[in-house]
Amino acid sequence: MYQIYKIYIKPSMQVLDLINENPSLLLLMEYFEIDYAVNNMTVEEICRINRIDQNVFLIFSNLYNGFYPNMEELMSANLDILLVIKFLKNSHNYYKNDKYPEIKQYINQLYNHQNSSDVKRIEVFFNDYFSEVLEHLDYEDKIAFPYFKQLFELNIDIEKCVFSSKEYKVHHTDIETKLSDLKNLLLKHISLNKDYILRRKLLSALFELERNLNIHSIIEEVILLPLIEEIENKLKR
Amino acid sequence: MSKCRVNIAVIEPSQIIYEGFSNMLLKSTEHYCLYRLSELAELTNSLTLKFSIVILNPAIIQNKINSFLKIKKNFPDTVWIGLVYSFYDSELLMRLDDAISITDSAEQIIQRINNLHSKYNCEANHNKDLTDREVEVLIHLTRGLSSKEIADKLNISVHTVVSHRKNLVEKTGIKSLPGLTLYAISKNFIKLEDHLT
Repeated sequence: MYQIYKIYIKPSMQVLDLINENPSLLLLMEYFEIDYAVNNMTVEEICRINRIDQNVFLIFSNLYNGFYPNMEELMSANLDILLVIKFLKNSHNYYKNDKYPEIKQYINQLYNHQNSSDVKRIEVFFNDYFSEVLEHLDYEDKIAFPYFKQLFELNIDIEKCVFSSKEYKVHHTDIETKLSDLKNLLLKHISLNKDYILRRKLLSALFELERNLNIHSIIEEVILLPLIEEIENKLKR
Repeated sequence: MSKCRVNIAVIEPSQIIYEGFSNMLLKSTEHYCLYRLSELAELTNSLTLKFSIVILNPAIIQNKINSFLKIKKNFPDTVWIGLVYSFYDSELLMRLDDAISITDSAEQIIQRINNLHSKYNCEANHNKDLTDREVEVLIHLTRGLSSKEIADKLNISVHTVVSHRKNLVEKTGIKSLPGLTLYAISKNFIKLEDHLT
């Protein structure tokens, strides 16, 4: 399928080529904790040197390139759950310490320049939203992920489980809805004349975050949760 | 008037035919976005795209009618059009919503697509202003009323309120209550003081 040129990533491909095609893979490498100096290494080599499960790398990087994972492949791939969790935790750091604060800062600067009540209300909306996001990320880091880890190491009493996958999904939808609302308010309804550079930076950051969150939810809901549920079912039997 | 964007998936094995066909559609005055797929199964792989129309060479489904019908069921809003340049059984073509022939002119083909498309699902709702009634519903929503309570207040059915809410979301692009409140204030539908009291 193509309109925008897309590559389906395979083990024999050179990582540098892939980054040139889709620079957002740099973020993926950050989450996997892989050095950017990739030399002439292929996907296979870079996974081996960094001791990364190649299947996880392939499925995630193809997701970044726009290919939805295939359920049968996922179930038979025997993915390294601990690696998946490390990846997600690192992306939480990106949200908490990088992208959301960046957006917050842009909105703050806009308000300082424009002093308009519309911008003030955007600021309030964003701050409320940001604290909701932090609460959810905290829940994942402190409750969900440790639970998944224990489960993976088969070191848990399943009856005492406090985690609900249903609740987990509702949180995600909410986080993505409000972000899209913020974007649409700025793109369709609230005019910000002047401050063109700041305005563009703000919107670009919102788009970047939206795309990343979208992939993040897919990884958690379509890849991680079914694996967790599979382990849970095995233990219950 | 703005035109609504139409995502079209094309499943045509011949490169020559595909290139010619897509060129013709992309240069028309309509807002078409074309995606070439190599097989039906790819339709279900797409992350975010929704195709309004699938144009396919009937040979693709000829010996796979059952799996085709299964996929078709999953896309109830999609229009299926055959791109025909050799002989096919009429029963096969009947499984599709329409067929265009390789000898049709560009105007004919675009006309065909537009007829089918508007009949099925072009809701260019998102660029219209809110109606007075929708604004009323919006104001009550921002005051925290439920659909049932709004229905009672305005003397209309809950069903009507729900449909107003759906239009509100489509037109503004905003789904959450805090977002809608912000919108209502910025458009002066409500004042901040109203909201606080």
